Amino acid sequence: MRYKRFWLVLLLTLLLCLSGCGTNTDNVQPPQTEPPVETPAATEGTQDRYKTDPVPEGKPQPVEPQNAQVTDNTYTCTLSISCATILDNMDLVEAQKQPLVPADGWLLPETTMTFYQGESVFDVLLRVCKENKLHMEYMDTPMYNSAYIEGIGNLYEFDVGPLSGWMYNVNGWFPNYGCSRYALQDGDVVCWVYTCDLGSDVGDNSMGGQQP
Amino acid sequence: MRNRDAFSSYHPIINFLYFVLVLVFTMFFMHPVSLAISLLSALAYSVCLNGTKAVRFSLTAILPMMLIAAVVNPIFNHEGATILTYLPSGNPLTLESMIYGVASAFMLAGVITWFSCYSAVMTSDKFVYLFGRVIPALSLVLSMTLRFVPKFKAQLQVVSEAQSCVGRDTANGSLLQRTKNGITILSILVTWSLENAIETADSMKSRGYGLPGRTAFSIYRFDGRDKLALLWLLFCGGYIILGWALDGLRWWYYPIISGELTGAFPVSLQLVYLALCLTPVIMNRMEVQKWKRLTCEA
Repeated sequence: MRYKRFWLVLLLTLLLCLSGCGTNTDNVQPPQTEPPVETPAATEGTQDRYKTDPVPEGKPQPVEPQNAQVTDNTYTCTLSISCATILDNMDLVEAQKQPLVPADGWLLPETTMTFYQGESVFDVLLRVCKENKLHMEYMDTPMYNSAYIEGIGNLYEFDVGPLSGWMYNVNGWFPNYGCSRYALQDGDVVCWVYTCDLGSDVGDNSMGGQQP
Repeated sequence: MRNRDAFSSYHPIINFLYFVLVLVFTMFFMHPVSLAISLLSALAYSVCLNGTKAVRFSLTAILPMMLIAAVVNPIFNHEGATILTYLPSGNPLTLESMIYGVASAFMLAGVITWFSCYSAVMTSDKFVYLFGRVIPALSLVLSMTLRFVPKFKAQLQVVSEAQSCVGRDTANGSLLQRTKNGITILSILVTWSLENAIETADSMKSRGYGLPGRTAFSIYRFDGRDKLALLWLLFCGGYIILGWALDGLRWWYYPIISGELTGAFPVSLQLVYLALCLTPVIMNRMEVQKWKRLTCEA
């Protein structure tokens, strides 16, 4: 009879532990690559089916990855990955993560690379990280129909305070939709930046932040 | 005494304190040395309590589970500096996440084995003795819940045997008939368990359970031997908690595996931890030696 109790405990513990697996699955609203609000006038009704507010005039509309047509035409773009904002907040980083932050903040300096017409910012990031042996973890978020970048180079969202994470801008603009939905154009300049304050420290004030 | 375990004959508070310490430490220390110490000591004590066969049986359950944990963690967790290869999704498979999976499987196996020892040592009369006066309702509920599944199984046996005597067992007949019989057995069982719960409650109430001034017979005495054991547990527990607070047992799996391995303080902490975990086994050995010496002299 004793074993029956043991089995019960085993089952319960297994359930508990399986549900606790994975250290980075914080159930927090993904804050960065899908910034929700651009214009304060936007209302619920005007959002598209992936919760994206209207794109400002003159900016490219999102292209759903399932509809994207990749051709053989090769274009070039510039891509860089920077975590320079962490350098100002080094005291918030756990000790074992501090050596991961480069002294100049560049995980990947500006590099020109080739891509195929129709590829998204995410496709290019995934490829460049594989080629450079740079660590990158993402999560698919069906609600926004896009990948969400959780961490690059083992620097994860929330590693530098609760408002931190990865964002991207293309030609200086922080798109209000996810990186899988941004179709790259020839000559685009893509910057992946780590923010410690919901974007306000990297030049995007659409989501607020603690500093005005 | 049902089992010959020397540690079980100590005062319930010693038993309980020991398991609280060991379980908490096992759950919180992810240091590989601590994990190994905990799992091996738990297995050793489990052999003392339940015999080799029972432990072999539980190992056959634990090993596949460890394997699953080692495989499952890298599927969901991609942190770590050492990229081995890429998963089909495009996320990296890292060495660190695999090792973390194995380590958590060790922790899991350790906790389960400790709980199997716990249920052998901390019988429900000990538990109710300890907490019957402080939290009468809760301790009764706890000991009843823990007993529920074994009791339910036993009653299921009784009911299904009775049903098969009147030709209504689940082994014969068409599928529909067998299902019907099975449902009848289940219904009888649920009715019985509800009735049993009410009867138990009435019985406990009529005996004045939980009333102020009610005394309970117990054969437990806190003697000199228990005082020594308490001091020993307090010393070990205190030292390890001190070391824990001073980060002497820290270990990181992400992004690069690193931690305290050498140095006088971490090593001394691990040694004290080993001594704490092996306390019941050592007590058993000493008891056996004493018995042998006495029988030789006689």
